[in-house]
Amino acid sequence: MKNKLRELRTAKEWSQSDLADKLGVSRQTINAIETEKYDPSLPLAFKVARLFKQSVEDIFSDQ
Amino acid sequence: MTSVLYSENMNAKPNVAGEIFMGEQEYSWRKDWTVNGWLFVATIISALCDVMFPHITRQWPLGWRVGIVGAEFLAIALWVRSLMTWIRGMDELHRRITTSAVLFAVSATFFAAMLWHRLDSAGLFNAIFPKPKNGGSWDICTVGHEFLLLTLFYFVGQTIFNRRYK
Repeated sequence: MKNKLRELRTAKEWSQSDLADKLGVSRQTINAIETEKYDPSLPLAFKVARLFKQSVEDIFSDQ
Repeated sequence: MTSVLYSENMNAKPNVAGEIFMGEQEYSWRKDWTVNGWLFVATIISALCDVMFPHITRQWPLGWRVGIVGAEFLAIALWVRSLMTWIRGMDELHRRITTSAVLFAVSATFFAAMLWHRLDSAGLFNAIFPKPKNGGSWDICTVGHEFLLLTLFYFVGQTIFNRRYK
């Protein structure tokens, strides 16, 4: 699954650790999502969307 | 509803697998002790059982001997509980990695012990190595050996599954 997480995070000038702390996950999880090795669960995807004030579809896409 | 469920441990830093993986950057002796303390107790009791049962405690009342065995399995049950608590405190990725590693370790231990037992029954080890003294055998179907294999395979599984997401 493709996502814009790295783009959104760098726009806010957050490190992976900063974002991980805000989402309550580990830095490795953020890295795995950004490199598209891991697809987050729905609750985590919604939490990401809420944090960046965007819809889940705007951040994650299956194309 | 899902956000409520997911936010349960949000304020706490999630547990990560490397916390009990000696040599990893995140390794914490304190965390390792919290998770594996009861395993250590079980190992000590198991080792004492292996030493004492054949020689010392043979004349002890049956209730005492059963009590010692019960203490060992109580320690194992408490270790499993602390392991489950630790896994529940992980984020979703680490929970997936660790659950996969535990499943791999249990399956591989079962398979290895079964294979070793069959090869021993077939007489392979007695044909290669000298026969152990005092009526011993090359069989590794003891609690101590199983835990050693389980730990070994857990680290192998953890390394394999962790690498997938790095």
